[in-house]
Amino acid sequence: MNLEQVLIPTRVATAGMTVRELFEECSRANSPGLPFSDDNGRIAGRITLKNILKSVCLPDYLVEMVRILGEQPSSLQDMEDQVKQILNNPVDPYIQEPHLSITSGSSVVKAMALMEQSDTSYIFVVDEERYLGVVTIHNLASKLVHLDKPS
Amino acid sequence: MQETLMLGENELVSHVIFGWDPLWVSSILFVTTYALIVSEKVNRAIVAGLGAGLMVALGVLNQETAISGIDFNTLGLLAGMMVIVAITRGSGIFQYVAVWSAKKVDASPWGILFMLSLVTALFSSLLDNVTTVLLIAPVTLLISHELKIDPYPFLFAEIIASNIGGTATLIGDPPNIMIGSAVNLSFNDFLFNLAPIVPVILAVMLGIIYLVWGRSMHATAEARKRIMHFKERDAITDVRLLKQSLLVLALVISGFVLAHPLQLEPATIAMFGAALLLFLSNLKNNAEEQSKEVEKTFGNVEWTTIFFFIGLFIAVKGIEEAGVLRILAQLVIDSTDGDLAVTALAILWISAVASAVVDNIPFVATMIPVIKSMAPTFGGAEYLMPLWWSLALGACLGGNGSLVGASANLIVAGFAERAGHRIGFMKFMLMAFPMMLLSMVIASVYVYLRYL
Repeated sequence: MNLEQVLIPTRVATAGMTVRELFEECSRANSPGLPFSDDNGRIAGRITLKNILKSVCLPDYLVEMVRILGEQPSSLQDMEDQVKQILNNPVDPYIQEPHLSITSGSSVVKAMALMEQSDTSYIFVVDEERYLGVVTIHNLASKLVHLDKPS
Repeated sequence: MQETLMLGENELVSHVIFGWDPLWVSSILFVTTYALIVSEKVNRAIVAGLGAGLMVALGVLNQETAISGIDFNTLGLLAGMMVIVAITRGSGIFQYVAVWSAKKVDASPWGILFMLSLVTALFSSLLDNVTTVLLIAPVTLLISHELKIDPYPFLFAEIIASNIGGTATLIGDPPNIMIGSAVNLSFNDFLFNLAPIVPVILAVMLGIIYLVWGRSMHATAEARKRIMHFKERDAITDVRLLKQSLLVLALVISGFVLAHPLQLEPATIAMFGAALLLFLSNLKNNAEEQSKEVEKTFGNVEWTTIFFFIGLFIAVKGIEEAGVLRILAQLVIDSTDGDLAVTALAILWISAVASAVVDNIPFVATMIPVIKSMAPTFGGAEYLMPLWWSLALGACLGGNGSLVGASANLIVAGFAERAGHRIGFMKFMLMAFPMMLLSMVIASVYVYLRYL
């Protein structure tokens, strides 16, 4: 098995892409995030679902105090309203530093080792600044379950 | 080239490079170090370390003298308490108390502000202020969010309460630890001399906060109900650890109270408490797990602060050995005509204003040898007590004067900003600085009536 067999091609996020579009693309590809490409087509960062959701509806104090919340605190009810308000906003404020990447010629084990080293469950596949797709632990597992079946 | 300095009865040989005057070299080094610390452009531990290194490298101090300037009692007490707090906070007891206190007043907004301020002051007297506000600020933001009330008055009150509460005990604020260690003052000395005025100042400050914000605070019955549904019991993550932590905390506090009869230094008690809690909390772990846990706990010790202190002590030793502090002390005595009352009040007010704008730790580190060298003027070290209490009151309470007056203030501001509630520098200072001055008036009356 090589990386090209397990990678999932996705769009890259660009300036002006909406949060809705990013959510839809990530959901389709089952990817936690997308690389962000600048005006010159270079991978300049990444945008993740986790970071958007944390920025919008998970303030530090809520994370810190989550254990004591009752069954229906308003802090959680606000979540849907807060996300609704940003769905059509551009993703630009949520750009983070570039994510871990690997070239398509590398082995699957190297990809797994890099993910383990960085404590992440996904890695972007990039060849000479050309983004090819994402490899996720989930996708890898979905391929591995077929190993014992005749091809 | 060599230069010999005559320092009192001791003759120390200094090897300042190029034969430069140690007085000037040490002064320039110290002022530069101080300026860089105040500027906050470079991490304060790095600055203090460089300042200390240069004091030795340029020959103002030799290594032996530099090491003798480090107050290991202060470091031991700080490090020991940091370990104890790092382990104890993992039990969730502090959040439990905060939420429990909020529910005790039926979640009324003013009641919560009052109770959280009391809890903050109490915790601050036993823990360091930064840890206290790190524990209280999230509870506060969550509660104010649920009540749909601006968190600013709550956070403001907690900043004020943390600095006031920290004044009360030997371990409440680093300046007290430094003063206690330098003058050999016990936990009880601080309790008997500073704690009595703390509730008075806190009550006056809370009275002002009530008049400004408290009267108009309202929350709907539904919002208050949400607070009453909080499950403070769930904040306790480890009951066994909680019991162990409370046991060790109780032993350590008892140890501080009985330190003199036991002939133990506070640092010994804190370090022993830390070791005991590390031992108890790791009883159930195998060797590998113990290593991980101990490493994790030591990772929570604020090494930046510890190394900052080490560098600072050496830098101060540099100007002390070069005679700068004696000159400074003489200047203070000359300007107050050697009057103890005037000197005490001057130290109180200068410490407060200085601590409102710069870090109080380097200020107190500098003032300690200055005050010590005033002993002959006032008839001996035993007559200096009003000056020590003035320094402690001024340095601790002065932190309330501005947002940069204490690390805890900045921690709260940072927490609030990340939650979308910016605490502006001027907005804070316009209310806090006059309140700090009022607390100084109260402290002045106290010092005057009790000691002068």
